[in-house]
Amino acid sequence: MSLSTDRAPQAFIFKGGMLPMTVMELVSGDPEQIRAQLASKLSQSPAFFQHTPVVLSVEKLDEPHLALERICAVCRGHKLLPVAVRGGGDPVRQSAWALGLGWFPPQESRGRTLESVPPVAEPVAEAASAIEPEPEAEPVHASKVFRGTVRSGQQISASDGDLVIIGAVNAGAEILAAGSVHIYGALRGRALAGIHGDRNASIYCKELHAELLSVAGTYKRLDDIDNRLLGASVEVVLEHDQLCIARLN
Amino acid sequence: MAKIIVVTSGKGGVGKTTSAAAIATGLALRGNKTVVIDFDVGLRNLDLIMGCERRVVYDLVNVIQGEANLKQALIRDKRIDNLHILPASQTRDKDALTQEGVEKILIALREDFDYVICDSPAGIERGAQLAMYFADEAVVVTNPEVSSVRDSDRIIGLLSSKTRRAEIGESPVVEHLLITRYHPARVTGGDMLNLTDIQEILSIPLIGLIPESDAVLRASNQGVPVTHDQKSDAGQAYVDCVSRLLGEEVPLRFHEIEKRSLLARMFGGGRK
Ligand SMILES: Nc1ncnc2c1ncn2[C@@H]1O[C@H](COP(=O)(O)OP(=O)(O)OP(=O)(O)O)[C@@H](O)[C@H]1O
Ligand SMILES: [Mg+2]
Repeated sequence: MSLSTDRAPQAFIFKGGMLPMTVMELVSGDPEQIRAQLASKLSQSPAFFQHTPVVLSVEKLDEPHLALERICAVCRGHKLLPVAVRGGGDPVRQSAWALGLGWFPPQESRGRTLESVPPVAEPVAEAASAIEPEPEAEPVHASKVFRGTVRSGQQISASDGDLVIIGAVNAGAEILAAGSVHIYGALRGRALAGIHGDRNASIYCKELHAELLSVAGTYKRLDDIDNRLLGASVEVVLEHDQLCIARLN
Repeated sequence: MAKIIVVTSGKGGVGKTTSAAAIATGLALRGNKTVVIDFDVGLRNLDLIMGCERRVVYDLVNVIQGEANLKQALIRDKRIDNLHILPASQTRDKDALTQEGVEKILIALREDFDYVICDSPAGIERGAQLAMYFADEAVVVTNPEVSSVRDSDRIIGLLSSKTRRAEIGESPVVEHLLITRYHPARVTGGDMLNLTDIQEILSIPLIGLIPESDAVLRASNQGVPVTHDQKSDAGQAYVDCVSRLLGEEVPLRFHEIEKRSLLARMFGGGRK
């Protein structure tokens, strides 16, 4: 308070945000094997390799010393930009830092049954539209429907469309969608819409008790939600970089 | 062919062992040939609750490792002829349990018994997963508190993904909710979650509600499963639970504050 920092013009602001990020889960630490697989992937879906930032996860690896520098070089050679490493012991963390990469602790073992990272969309659409010019040939982003209760520790994701949950999402569960999220039940867990950055995505639920709401990376935690809205049927949209929660009906 | 029922919860100390012993006893009293297995290797408890701790020679791990056969390890209950106990080892560590070993034992028991009750250890790790893996039905034990409900929710998720039935795509494990240590007065006072809230969150059918009761402590100290104490509320509640497991319809009791008569209040009479 006594410091007159507010007079100096601000150079930056820190903002909380959640960016969608591809995690590259290493099953082998051998740079040559990684190179071979990347080479074949690159020919299959060149669109994906556009200096895409990736987090290298080494949690499945049992090697205390990793040829991290060579692995990063192989990735960059294939237009993937490693920005951080997740998991591994102290030597891995030290070499990540030495390479100017961030380091994340291993993810708590949640026994995930569903894929945590939406798979890369294969670029089939271009080929198809070249042959069939009709508008119906445009790929329809089908919504994914899940019936039942999404339980603590479970994760359901729709990587290229809307996600519809016919049931409740319990505390400790997480649902994600590239598009909007519709929950015909109570939302007690985490719901993330627009995970690839779609700012028009929204979240709808019948009963709001969410641990976390996020649209295109802008989020609100349970603590940030107006108490009067708890339990209500709501719609959550992004307006001027802010999450707005409005009652339905 | 026996039905294999796992008694599980995620959270520790909620009443799994008490319930496994009480349910096994109840099923046996109704004429079913029943065996109850302690999967809590390293923290065995079931033998104490069943009152057979002095008769343990061999245990589950001995059988798995081929040091004894099943017949030698099974202990016959001293009160009911068609009830048997397969104790856990207190000295070995948890890794002594293997999936193949457990499967062999369950296949053998399946032939001879009507019900195999598996008392799961707490947690969601290996021991708990092995106890549930071969189950046909599951009794999910939950106390009326937030953390217990959350853990049960987690366990229900595992039942639908980490069991043999889920893996081979057979009909799913039949899930039952058993609420234990329910205290109507504290629920009404808002200290504990109420029945409806728990049911709404977990959304699996209720098989029973066991009130918080001194009879349980008394029973476990004496090594007599509380089902034998038919004067007690908990004993009666477990009998109701067993009837429902056998497919009968029984009205719910003990979930509301007891309306004690004026006389009882004046003379301090209460629950037995
Ligand atoms: N209905 C009840 N009323 C009062 N006390 C109870 C009741 N049910 C269980 N208890 C008490 O709670 C304690 C834990 O019970 P129990 O050993 O059956 O739990 P558990 O879930 O098997 O524990 P663990 O996870 O350690 O195996 C015991 O002291 C038991 O007497
Ligand atoms: Mg126990």
